[in-house]
Amino acid sequence: MHKWAWTSLCVLCLVAILFITLTRVKVKNQPPVENSLTVAEALGSSEATGYARATEIREFVFPLDHGPHHEFKTEWWYYTGNLFDENGRHFGYQLTFFRTALTPHPTPRPSNWATHQAYMAHFALTDTKTGKFYYFERFSRSALGLAGASAVPFRVWLEDWGAEGDQLRTFPMRLSAQEGEVAIDFNLESTKPMVLQGQKGLSQKSSQPGNASYYYSITRMPTFGKVKISNQTFTVRGTSWLDREWSTSALGEDQVGWDWFSLQFNDGRELMYYQLRRQDGTADPFSSGLLVEKNGSIRQLTASDVEIQVLDFWRSPESGATYPSKWAILIANEDMKIEITPRLAHQELNTSIRYWEGAVSARGSFSDRTLLGNGYVELTGY
Amino acid sequence: MILWQAGFRYLWRHPLQVLFAVIGVSVGVAVVVAIDMANSSAERAFRISADALSGRATHMIVNSSGDLSEEIYPQLRMGGGWRDSAPVVEGYAAIPEQPGLLLNIVGIDPFTERPFRSYSPSIGSQFDLSRLLTEEGAGLMTERTASRLGLTIGDSLQLSAGEERHHFILVGFVETREQISIQALDNILLMDISSAQEILNKHGKLSRIDLIIPDTTSGQRRMRQLQHFLPSYAEILPANARVQTMAQMTKAFQINLRALSLLALVVGMFLIYNTMTFSILQRRTLLGTLRTLGVTRGQIFAMVLIEAILIGTIGTAIGLLIGFFLANGLLSIVTRTINDLYFVLNVDSLFITPLALTKSMLLGVGASAVAAFIPALEAGRTSPRAVLMRSNVESRHRRLLPWAVTIGLFFMSASLLGLNVPSKNIIASFLLMFTLIIGYALVTPGAFVWLLKTLQPVSQYTFGILGKIAVRNLMGGLSRTGVATSALVIAVAASVGVGLMINSFRATVDQWLRSYLQADIYVTTASTGFEPGRIPLEDELVNALAKVEGVKFITKARHIRLESQAGPSELFIAEINRQGFDGYWFDSGDKDEIYKAFSESDSVIVSEPYAYHRNLKRGDSITLRTDRGQRRFQIAGIFTDYGSDRGRITMSRQLYTTYWNDKKTDALGIYVKDGYDVDQTVNDLVQTAGERQQLIVYSNSGLREASLATFDRTFAVTSVLRMLAVLVAFVGILNALMAMQIERARELAILRAGGLTPQQLWHLVIGETSLVGLIAGLLALPLGIVQALVLILVINQRSFGWSMQISIDPVILLQALGLSVFAALLAGIYPAWLMSRTSPALAMRYE
Repeated sequence: MHKWAWTSLCVLCLVAILFITLTRVKVKNQPPVENSLTVAEALGSSEATGYARATEIREFVFPLDHGPHHEFKTEWWYYTGNLFDENGRHFGYQLTFFRTALTPHPTPRPSNWATHQAYMAHFALTDTKTGKFYYFERFSRSALGLAGASAVPFRVWLEDWGAEGDQLRTFPMRLSAQEGEVAIDFNLESTKPMVLQGQKGLSQKSSQPGNASYYYSITRMPTFGKVKISNQTFTVRGTSWLDREWSTSALGEDQVGWDWFSLQFNDGRELMYYQLRRQDGTADPFSSGLLVEKNGSIRQLTASDVEIQVLDFWRSPESGATYPSKWAILIANEDMKIEITPRLAHQELNTSIRYWEGAVSARGSFSDRTLLGNGYVELTGY
Repeated sequence: MILWQAGFRYLWRHPLQVLFAVIGVSVGVAVVVAIDMANSSAERAFRISADALSGRATHMIVNSSGDLSEEIYPQLRMGGGWRDSAPVVEGYAAIPEQPGLLLNIVGIDPFTERPFRSYSPSIGSQFDLSRLLTEEGAGLMTERTASRLGLTIGDSLQLSAGEERHHFILVGFVETREQISIQALDNILLMDISSAQEILNKHGKLSRIDLIIPDTTSGQRRMRQLQHFLPSYAEILPANARVQTMAQMTKAFQINLRALSLLALVVGMFLIYNTMTFSILQRRTLLGTLRTLGVTRGQIFAMVLIEAILIGTIGTAIGLLIGFFLANGLLSIVTRTINDLYFVLNVDSLFITPLALTKSMLLGVGASAVAAFIPALEAGRTSPRAVLMRSNVESRHRRLLPWAVTIGLFFMSASLLGLNVPSKNIIASFLLMFTLIIGYALVTPGAFVWLLKTLQPVSQYTFGILGKIAVRNLMGGLSRTGVATSALVIAVAASVGVGLMINSFRATVDQWLRSYLQADIYVTTASTGFEPGRIPLEDELVNALAKVEGVKFITKARHIRLESQAGPSELFIAEINRQGFDGYWFDSGDKDEIYKAFSESDSVIVSEPYAYHRNLKRGDSITLRTDRGQRRFQIAGIFTDYGSDRGRITMSRQLYTTYWNDKKTDALGIYVKDGYDVDQTVNDLVQTAGERQQLIVYSNSGLREASLATFDRTFAVTSVLRMLAVLVAFVGILNALMAMQIERARELAILRAGGLTPQQLWHLVIGETSLVGLIAGLLALPLGIVQALVLILVINQRSFGWSMQISIDPVILLQALGLSVFAALLAGIYPAWLMSRTSPALAMRYE
């Protein structure tokens, strides 16, 4: 009897120990690929009701529309560019300002810190020669002059990163940002008119009304200035591109992200095309683009006009996400065939919104002529 | 083995003695443990909370005299490019429905929080920030705090900070991902900086800016650049400055508590000593027999020591248990005192570490072993033959008496000499005080004999032959009575000493308040606590109050806290007229001259504790960070002040406005015209203030009462400790005297057989114990008074820099004497009852 009692006690203890051990051991998985956030989510606000929506074509008024549209939830000023120093050394840059409204119904409050607008900014620099990619992220509330945007005089800034227009006219524009060992200070000129994307600036992203943005671009801005890395300063020249978009809700339920291409060719033309991707990996019919002629005239491109082939992939060692990394774009109507290669494979921004945004070079043909170009590609939702 | 059995059998057969010894040790240990736990819990609660609030910040920018202007922050980030910086607005708010509970409001900027505090809401934390940022009064707390307040997400709560009431809405829970214990965030209310400014009425202000500056050469260079970048009033302090300041502020307070708790243990040690000495006396025949049987001295020594350690261990174990419960009670008293005197602190649970328990365990057992060392040595040393003779023991004690007195006197003089050496070492001062006590204890048996001799004729004359027998008995049994008396003397003296000290202190503070508080009415804003940084009075209101009928004139005052590398200083700015200046007590110097310097030159007066802690004399100067940069001020005089144990600087308002841009007032002294009723004027003032600003209005006597109430609360802990020491002493007397009488059973039986009636026996026993009580009480008085003097003139002076007047209250002395006699009387009842019932024949057959 005693023996049995002891034995069962021992067995019970063992079971208990085993149970405790098992519950405490966590199965170690492959780090999961985190889902991307939207700009609004990254800035901590996901509710979309109560804001204005892009439902119909509107009249764009400049310079007013360079400034913020607070009644919409999300807005961005997206500067990218490819620059070369006198020895032909290539640099790519991205300086982006995101705005998010925190509430559609702001109430006046006594504190100077009270705000209903939050800003996020990304600054990235690609140094192709050394293979280095620098990127930084900032946040701030729009209060006490820490961050904000205005149309006249044009200015969008987050602390000491900013884009600032001339007192009365928008151009020339001065872009400056610095963080860590990297700094840029550029002057941007305007040589081509603004182009309205989509239907006269209304860029429909899905079939649902209101899932759209107002969208315009300045596709070619001659740029000169300085790039500073550590204690080296480079005098650079090249071209920049500005994308301006504001919306409350853009993507449809089935859409997971987009691949955005902006290319500036040596024949004076530019191409913008974004492909919206659906959950199953196919291209959404609402994908759309624009071909800008040297004289500024535009031709709309739809999903049926453009074929994109992915030629290579790259897996990020940091996030584990796999991105397409080389493309062939075929536009049969225009007799265009372009191959796009990233300047560096690693141009992923592992920020609160994780995405790949990088400088690319393009080589292809238009009719019989060889086409060379530079540009930027953005890949989200991977 | 048989040896141990013999030992334990003895203890087993004398349960009462063992019980008393165990009680003595356990109460002693309990007091030490409880104070230790309460102290360390309070300290730890503050430390972890401060650490959690600093997060990974290494430094902070503060304004040496209050809050920072919020404009500094954008300049820092935009112009200076100081990225690792985070603004904080901090303060306290009360819950009107739950008086006594203060919530610590911490306003942060979620956009810059990420590098600093892992638990606070920040970008990317998947928390919906929009409510927190855009709703007035929205905030977060831990789930624990919320459930204690009975709140769930979406609930709101009324908060009052200063004059206004605000709504707080709970929009989420604070979750910690790191190792900071959730407890650290108890009663903390995290908010967006905008809501915090609104609730705390700190518009345009920041409490501090947290920084992360790496401890590298480049970090140091950055710091120097930052120092240049900042305006002159802003200062960079290490992030842990708060914790250090706290530790410094409460150090003296905690050492004092600890020392007083040790006093209880010392009394407990006397109990062990007494029990063991006594048990050896009783067992002398057994021990002698054992020795003749071949048991070595070492074995007997070990036996006695182990017995004591056993008693000590049981006592300590019980003491730890009692201590735990006691600590729960003491914790709230200690916390309240800290809240009254130093800073807001919420502690609701005890903190116990294995180390602290082990420490207390060793202390208890070790003290028992030390106490038993001499008895054990004695037991081992006696020769087998000699030990059989009782008279031998007594004569040996007699012989030792002069030695004990000599050594005791030596200890006492050494201690008194030592106490006269100027020093700031509090621990050393306490050690010297303990030496004094031990010295006195050694002298006590000698003094006891001398007193008995003196009393013998009196006793004989009054009580006849019984009186004579009683005195001779006590003298004959010196080995027993001597130790008992010493224990009693020490315990009673401790109670006298502490009692006199508190009384003198209270009397001094009362007198000081009567002199210092010159105005008829005092008005201040309803801020949380009396600490500096109060909400200012509105200027218009001040003017309105001055015009109230019956008001003769008003004087304006302001309290601010100056932060500096050397810790915070309180600056009190006041308009003091010549008449009001008479209320100040100065240690030296001519009052007219001091007043002239104070009101006409760049001079200040500082309080005694301030001068003491910083080694300042009259005529020295101090450097303060003003709004015009660093400025030197001469010390015109050092005044008595019990308002702050860290000390304060008092400056004339005129001088203050010359060097600071602040023209605000947060307190008023109001003088009432002759013939007007003060209470009526108080009512009128409250009426005038009305809804404009919530004020606290005290009449002169009301403020004095409130101040004394705070004083009493402060000394509540000390009083509790004093009571506990008395309790141990009481047990000690019971133990010693009862044992003595029981041991004399045979002797008394002979007296009974010789014709002593039971009633006479009662008289004899009670008479003897009362005599011991009386003599011990008398002997305790000088020691008590000396102890009080040491506490007042040395300990308090060295701990806090306070000097006070000595007042010896005869009531306390009589109480002590009464206590001593009463306990002794009580100790005689049981043996007397026992012996009067036992037939003499039975008692004599014992041997």
